[in-house]
Amino acid sequence: MRLSPAGRVLRVGLAATVICVAWSRPASAQFWPSHPLAYFEGKLLLAGEVSATCGGSDPGWFTYTSYDTSAVRRIRGDVTVEVRPLPQLAVLAELRAETGGGIQPYAAYLRITPFRDRAIDVQVGRIPPVFGSYARRAYPQDNPLIGDPLMYQYLTTLRSDAIPATADDVLRQRARGWLVRYPIGNTQADNGLPVIAVSRYASGVEARAGSSSVEVAVAVTSGTPTEPRPADGSGVQVAGHVAWRPSPVVTLGASASHGTFIESSVRTARPGLPAGHDAQDAVGADGEVSWGRWLVRGEFISSAWELPPVSAPIIGGSLSSRAGYLEAKIRLRPGIYAAARADRLWFSQLSGSSGANTWDADVTRVEAGAGWTFHRGFLLKASVMAHWRDGGRITREQLGALQIVAWF
Amino acid sequence: MRKTSSSCSRVPWAIAALGLVVLAAPCGPLPLLAVDGVIRGHVELPHAQMTMDARPNAAAMGAPAVRPSELRPAVVYLSTAPRGAFEPDESLRATMNQENQTFVPHVLAIAVGTTVDFPNADLVFHNVFSLSRTKSFDLGRYARGSSKAVRFDRPGVVQVFCDIHSHMSAYILVFAHRYFAVTDEAGRYAIPRVPPGVYALAVWHEGSVRQTRQITVPDAGGFVDADFVVR
Repeated sequence: MRLSPAGRVLRVGLAATVICVAWSRPASAQFWPSHPLAYFEGKLLLAGEVSATCGGSDPGWFTYTSYDTSAVRRIRGDVTVEVRPLPQLAVLAELRAETGGGIQPYAAYLRITPFRDRAIDVQVGRIPPVFGSYARRAYPQDNPLIGDPLMYQYLTTLRSDAIPATADDVLRQRARGWLVRYPIGNTQADNGLPVIAVSRYASGVEARAGSSSVEVAVAVTSGTPTEPRPADGSGVQVAGHVAWRPSPVVTLGASASHGTFIESSVRTARPGLPAGHDAQDAVGADGEVSWGRWLVRGEFISSAWELPPVSAPIIGGSLSSRAGYLEAKIRLRPGIYAAARADRLWFSQLSGSSGANTWDADVTRVEAGAGWTFHRGFLLKASVMAHWRDGGRITREQLGALQIVAWF
Repeated sequence: MRKTSSSCSRVPWAIAALGLVVLAAPCGPLPLLAVDGVIRGHVELPHAQMTMDARPNAAAMGAPAVRPSELRPAVVYLSTAPRGAFEPDESLRATMNQENQTFVPHVLAIAVGTTVDFPNADLVFHNVFSLSRTKSFDLGRYARGSSKAVRFDRPGVVQVFCDIHSHMSAYILVFAHRYFAVTDEAGRYAIPRVPPGVYALAVWHEGSVRQTRQITVPDAGGFVDADFVVR
């Protein structure tokens, strides 16, 4: 059997993990560690997660995260390493390998914690996003369902390395986020981008300060929420998140971000484009309510992308979208839970030569599923998804998916 | 020749394998003038004081809260216990606190029939649960000042976790008798009121039985010393 590069990496990674696990556990103990592996008196920590997902066919491209990768048909492996040479200093790195992509350093940064008794940190390097809330729990073991919220996964028709010349160029691509082609910049067809990308971390600096009830984080990084790592490294983003916990039951958060969305290569390809008109501005609100066996989370994001006006019919103003989801999880029995999420993505109106329409097709997803932790560190999930879209070749679609997750 | 009660061997093999049940040796009647002994000693552990590290999380916006070090003691117990050890006491009660995102104590040894309270002393929610075959339970999320209780009716090892904080873990060892002791900070232990006889004495630490040895409490009773070195 011939394995893809990602498959080979996963096989090697899995073998290495098994060796590490076997080496660190006495034979009489559990066969799978319930905690991260610790070496050198805790100065080196190793954690891992492997997930395999299989799902029904998706001819409508609702679940794809790139042109050739579906969120419900993939194998993914993560290894996280934390080295703490000093109490105030830690180096964190997460290596990820998944179907459709090679091994990549998903995160790699230095964390400085100057005060041991205060929640103040500075993180420098390829860091986690501060915008929104889901991006920091977009791991299979933290996601009660299999699909990601639409705002973090669904491919819109936006690209940061290519732009449309007219409003008609945009409208022609409606519901075709899986393969978009524009005439300015990179003219090769490629997948569009989600409202907020969780598959790539940006490089930059982040500072966090918190207390028991309030946490504030501010970051200056490359890119924007939609494209945190532009191919040419251009663009600067300023983002922040505030979380308030008035009680242990409730957490409320607010986010904002401003950054340069259009890559400089686009201006290089088409000199004379009007200055400005290249930013993404986003604001968001998130919340979590939990009590007893219930956990309810929700998030709402409004984002706008400016594109340079080029030809008539011009793109007047910015393209914007609103997105929101509400998810609930209930623990039914020890190790067993049920969960559901309702999800919607709206797009603003755009006038073309044939009339007005939303610049991309609005999408709705409802997902319901269940999870079973049959052993500490092993989670089996099953879910069904239903999609509706106001455009495109396929406007309705249902599919089911299974996922197994192992982590330590 | 000592008699062996048939009821003494009626235990599930899996539980017996854990060495936490009475195996009825000696199972015969005790001498009328027997004097109970005390088995005592010291257990040397490789790392007596450890704090379970929080799972490295590259997606976190900052470092996890610093937690105090926790004691990870051993449990010393008779894996063969005297006759008359099956006397469940319905009023037994124990407590496992949740403080600074840590279960305190990390190891709790109790007798069958004991009800354990799990109060939350932290500002954040905790969700105590166990998937152990001996006792599986899920207490749901509850806040500071609240407490929930679980009664343990079967002998065995119960590993306890928090669903919200994956670095929180603890053990509850449930015995079918009262002949057990948890080591203190110095590694010392004492099992009092042990009738004369020959027993198997076992040391458990962090999920597994580390050592077992035969020990004799003489008819005259008194102190019987048994030290262990666990590597």
